[in-house]
Amino acid sequence: MRLTVILIAVGFVALLVLLPVIAVFAEALRKGISVYAASITDHDALSALRLTLLTAAVSVTANLIFGVAAAWAIAKFEFPGKSVLLSLIDLPFAVSPVISGLVFVLLFGAQGWFGEWLIRHDVQIVFAEPGVILATIFVTFPFIARELIPLMQEQGTEEEEAAVLLGAGAWQLFRRVTLPNIRWALLYGVVLCNARAMGEFGAVSVVSGHIRGRTNTLPLHVEILYNEYNFSAAFAVASLLTLLAVVTLLVKAGLEWKTRRDRRPLAVEDQ
Amino acid sequence: MAPTGAAIEVRHVSRTFGSWTALRDVSLTVNQGELVTLLGPSGSGKTTLLRIIAGLEEPDPRPETAVFINGVDISRQRPDERKVGFVFQHYALFRHMSVFENIAFGLRVRPRNARPPEREIRRRVGELLELIQLGRWASQYPSQLSGGQRQRVALARALAIEPNVLLLDEPFGALDARVRQELRRWLRTLHARIHVTSVLVTHDQEEALEVADRIAIMNQGRIEQLGTPDEVFHHPASEFVVTFLGNVNLFHGRVEAGKAVIGRLALDASRALPADGETARVFVRPHELDIDVHRTSGASVRARVLRIQSAGPLVRVELASEEDDTVRAEDTINVELTHQRYGELMIRVGDTVFVRVRDARVFVEDYSI
Repeated sequence: MRLTVILIAVGFVALLVLLPVIAVFAEALRKGISVYAASITDHDALSALRLTLLTAAVSVTANLIFGVAAAWAIAKFEFPGKSVLLSLIDLPFAVSPVISGLVFVLLFGAQGWFGEWLIRHDVQIVFAEPGVILATIFVTFPFIARELIPLMQEQGTEEEEAAVLLGAGAWQLFRRVTLPNIRWALLYGVVLCNARAMGEFGAVSVVSGHIRGRTNTLPLHVEILYNEYNFSAAFAVASLLTLLAVVTLLVKAGLEWKTRRDRRPLAVEDQ
Repeated sequence: MAPTGAAIEVRHVSRTFGSWTALRDVSLTVNQGELVTLLGPSGSGKTTLLRIIAGLEEPDPRPETAVFINGVDISRQRPDERKVGFVFQHYALFRHMSVFENIAFGLRVRPRNARPPEREIRRRVGELLELIQLGRWASQYPSQLSGGQRQRVALARALAIEPNVLLLDEPFGALDARVRQELRRWLRTLHARIHVTSVLVTHDQEEALEVADRIAIMNQGRIEQLGTPDEVFHHPASEFVVTFLGNVNLFHGRVEAGKAVIGRLALDASRALPADGETARVFVRPHELDIDVHRTSGASVRARVLRIQSAGPLVRVELASEEDDTVRAEDTINVELTHQRYGELMIRVGDTVFVRVRDARVFVEDYSI
């Protein structure tokens, strides 16, 4: 029994996860290391890598601020419209990424609501970097808030009240009490948000316009290369994305281990 | 009206939450160095009053409302400016800080020009650790301490800022009975030593009677009575106060010639009673009743022994009244006897005996303060 279950689990992981990962690297290196090196140092590939990293950095920063503010507001205060805000945070999870991208085209595209105004002021959002970044922020914004809300609700407001009564101002309160209490959950949220920001395809694909060397992210670049039957280059670039994912996974595993270790003593009951 | 020199003065404070009224026009004065407990059932408004003094809760805005600490109107001060020490029921220690850092917190968050130097912080925290007898635990984390130890740390943390007043919200509520009693004594000794003006919220009447200089008994958003433990226990101002401070027997009687009459029992009231014929409610504590095997005078109630519980410092006897309707006793009659008296009586379950009232408190129906 035990053996069967283990075999099923390991078999699935090998077939559906490990094999594809190996395939990516095998295909990428099939034509030799020099082709691989050329593919990933190609101007368009580097440009895609740059845009991917920029997008991830901006989205994570924006969602860090939004996520902490939203979680704080929802967990520690009562205000009208709180449940509406809570549902809206989940919206990007519920909506298909393609729709998320289309929404931005509808808003900021040439025929969109703000299109005329944007053209008059010579601002381009759709089919440019700002569009890619906006769409990514939208798709990833639940991650950090969702990670923090249950934790902050569980922790309650008493520690904050105690800190304020001891004379702490708003910044002291955040830096010395709230932030240390949520730091691991916050980092975990950042890791998840980052992973999704780097890998997002659907929403970005709609708003990017696929302009080589300008508005392509790594996933979009992979698709273009693949469609041009340039398999080695496609897989080489894919392997870059995979490596980023592996790094993310390692950080996530490390954080999970750390969170578990930190939480354990808190479970000790009174007396 | 100018503030008095009292440590805390609360004037005409009301607080409503939607349709729920937590406080109704409450005023309270706490003298310098005094320990006052707010005692009442849950929902009586005692915690709300404490949180309003601390600034964690706002009173309803009314022109006559004001809160003074040491003669200063603090109504408009933020909680971080009020310099009050606050102890929470569930400790609210900073879980990621050591015991030492928890106590030092209030000193470390001061603006740079008011912050004591590191050496001074160490000295002050060291003194407080000594005071709470946890010097060896300075580098431990809250999760490694017992409940009683955590609450002592919370108290030291509150005292570190040298507060104008110390506010304690059910500080022993989460602890088991033995630790609770120990801490209670300890708090009393500590208060005798450092004399910081304190307000302690509790729903435990025994705790209130033991630690307080004065007790404010609260019910439905009002202070029903404010007085020393002796005053509230021996001269309760209302039925609520009598019933809330420990077990009590209730008899129904009538007012006749200025006395409360229950059957053949005529009792002097502690205050003037209204016209004859009114219904009187007579409250008698179990230790204010005595049992006789034979009727010694007319002033007693015939009753049958239902249960005897003799394990404990006093013997508790439960009886059922066998008198007619004029001596209607609510439920059963509870009597507490000394073991010596119990030995003399030699009563057993099923015996018919006579319950004699030695002392009582009489309230008249519709009586209101």
